[in-house]
Amino acid sequence: MKKIRTEITKGEEMRYISHLDYASAIERAIRRTKMPVAFSEGFNPHMKISFASALALGVTSATEYMDVEFKTDVDLDEFCEKIKPQLPPGIQLLQAKPLEGKHQALMALIDLATYQITIPFTGDFSAVEKAVEEYNQTKSVVYTRYSPKKGKKEIEIKQYMDKPVKVTKKDDDIIVDIMVKVTPAGSIKPGEVLKVLVENFAMPIDEAEAFIHRVGLYSDGKTPIEL
Amino acid sequence: MIKLTPAVINAVTKPARYTGNELNAVKKEHENVDFTIALALPDVYEVGMSNLGLKILYQVLNNRTDIAAERVYSPWVDMEEKMREHNIPLYSLETFTPIRNFDMVGFSLQYEMSYSNVLNMLNMADIPMMTADRTEADPFVIGGGPCVYNAEPVADFFDFFIVGEGEEIITEVADMVIAWKKEGRIGGKTELLRRVAMLEGIYVPSFYNVTYNEEQMMSSVEPICEEAKPVITKRLVADMDAIEFVRNPVVPYIDIVHDRIMLELFRGCTRGCRFCQAGVLYRPVRERTPERLLSLAKELVDTTGYDEMSLTSLSSADYSCLGELVNNLMDTFKEDGVSVSLPSLRIDSFSIDLAHKLQQVRKSGLTFAPEAGTQRLRDVINKGVTEENLEQAVTAAFKQGWTSVKLYFMIGLPTETDEDIIGIANLAHKVVNLYKEVKGRRGARVTVSVSSFVPKPHTAFQWFAQNTEEELARKQQLLKEAIKDRSINYKYHDSKTSFLEGVIARGDRKVGQVILEAWKQGAKFDGWSEHFKYDVWMNAFTTCNIDPTFYNQRERDQAELLPWDHISSGVDKGFLIREYKNAVAEKFTPDCRSGQCSACGVCPNLNVKVVDWSREA
Repeated sequence: MKKIRTEITKGEEMRYISHLDYASAIERAIRRTKMPVAFSEGFNPHMKISFASALALGVTSATEYMDVEFKTDVDLDEFCEKIKPQLPPGIQLLQAKPLEGKHQALMALIDLATYQITIPFTGDFSAVEKAVEEYNQTKSVVYTRYSPKKGKKEIEIKQYMDKPVKVTKKDDDIIVDIMVKVTPAGSIKPGEVLKVLVENFAMPIDEAEAFIHRVGLYSDGKTPIEL
Repeated sequence: MIKLTPAVINAVTKPARYTGNELNAVKKEHENVDFTIALALPDVYEVGMSNLGLKILYQVLNNRTDIAAERVYSPWVDMEEKMREHNIPLYSLETFTPIRNFDMVGFSLQYEMSYSNVLNMLNMADIPMMTADRTEADPFVIGGGPCVYNAEPVADFFDFFIVGEGEEIITEVADMVIAWKKEGRIGGKTELLRRVAMLEGIYVPSFYNVTYNEEQMMSSVEPICEEAKPVITKRLVADMDAIEFVRNPVVPYIDIVHDRIMLELFRGCTRGCRFCQAGVLYRPVRERTPERLLSLAKELVDTTGYDEMSLTSLSSADYSCLGELVNNLMDTFKEDGVSVSLPSLRIDSFSIDLAHKLQQVRKSGLTFAPEAGTQRLRDVINKGVTEENLEQAVTAAFKQGWTSVKLYFMIGLPTETDEDIIGIANLAHKVVNLYKEVKGRRGARVTVSVSSFVPKPHTAFQWFAQNTEEELARKQQLLKEAIKDRSINYKYHDSKTSFLEGVIARGDRKVGQVILEAWKQGAKFDGWSEHFKYDVWMNAFTTCNIDPTFYNQRERDQAELLPWDHISSGVDKGFLIREYKNAVAEKFTPDCRSGQCSACGVCPNLNVKVVDWSREA
């Protein structure tokens, strides 16, 4: 089999690594295995690996998905055994499976992403609950996204909410669970939802102190490994 | 242990500079080791991580189970602001330990313009900047690297300096600290300083009394205790194959300046360019064998996963077995897609053929350094390159398909006239025309990059009066007007930076107070043009009542005691005097590897010899 799908993590040690740098770290790990990984043709060959979804700098993840293509047939167990000791701190291989035949690109598969945000909090929890409640009840919420390259863009974000936002209190933290739809037309980032909660719904937290964690990525209710 | 909250780290650019956890980073419990050292480079992470010397020391020290060596670099200004706001002291990237808690902090001093950052780092670490203000509880602050060959401007900030190559002496120092700690630190820090002062290559500045005459020139440097040597001679490695090299370098997550494997072919360079400080400091040439290099290369590809390797040295194309080595490396890594590159090229067709072989497909630009525009001036600086050499090299490059060539020059060299400046433009035009001759059409892209010459200690030009800023600016303008062709891209450096570099490079102990004053007034990251504050420095000179031009724009008498005369590179001062005379007489001194020995003195003085494997075989 020439293609392997993997389920990997992006742990606390790598929280502040950008997606591109995360990908390079994995590329170097694959190189260290000496497995016959495939490269693209051309002047500037790059390794044939692909990811399900880019993860922002500052966000960790329990489950990331990556497909790796090889030049020749490789053994799944051999790959797993060789890659594990080569992964840098913060990346773990959880599962892997062979991919036979033709496959849709990983990126195109994903339709749902779930996140958990932890924020240190000691104030009045009912005010937090109220903000979330109001957000969930509001039919339409417009968020203005600023990007240095693309400029200003207005997005209606409720269309991307798969389930209502859930908030719970645990010791000196509050935990916000967010499930967002990933569509070909776009999606919304968990940090952006949090920003809206603070700015438009007066959630009394400091968003700069939030730890964002991706819990899962799904395609039609299944993880890419289960497909 | 320092904890970074999202409120700090989310607010800064490139947070991965501060979060550690890179591949091959070595973490040890400090309770389980006998000696801890923070290896510091006073510049940003991407620069510090690219320094080969510190990579070697990190490897050598961490090979020992009883030593923990960790890294620390200058936080960029945004991070500094956040750290100060949140009372976070400077910490190490491995175990997030405050730098203050280490036994020793070792700074690599690569560049005079990083001195204000040394002070800033000490301040952020909550370590007193002046040695005299430190207590028994503070770490030893030590320095190494090329700048310590004139350590006087920073003498008041360092407990001691290591002069020369550090990989052997650093563990000797560590053993002395370990023994002193185990004995219960008898005699305090001064006792440890007395012990290390007896090692060859250690300079403890507080053990010397410096006097000045009425003209403010240094008149004597006298040891004040018996352990201190009158002259401190550099350390060097005699057999490059016998010593440890970087085998498990820390692999960063973010792109750094030299983001590739660095394979060090040899140390030293005997071409004898008269402006070049490194050419004196690292004498004599000592090569690694091609066999050792190949085995190191294989190991490094395995431990890093890098797909790029740079063959580094002062003049890599001079490695005597380069052809053989390159062939072996290319054969070995053909399947793995590892590319091999040379950081600098010699101006000859051998180099072009090699560069062609190394870059099978990608034709990035080629860089040459003729350094001066006329043959006369190239003879003055002993740059053994003729116009014919350059023509041949450039012609070969254009034939092989390169279209862009970068040429490096210096202005402000001894004996320079306007004719020499115009010569730079003429040479650049010639390169443009050569392209037309080779290709039959226009299309060459030629970059002329011009820096201002800064006379450095331990070189033949150490007595030379640096050009004034006005003179440098005039020459820069003259050259600008002389360049007529639009395909020539002309770049020049800010002469204000060169001015300050020139002052500090040849400064004495009194310059230290100016550095401290400049730091107090906000100087930092002086090597970064966006942060360089010339006015702050000029104010600092005024406040301290010190005339900067005394140090850089005064032709010094050869009988004058120089602030670095008590630090020896092994090269005799008499050789430098002869070389200055030869320069003025436009006389060439051949490379001692191919021509005759020019009696620089390094081999007999240090009891070493040139190691050239093409001759040994």
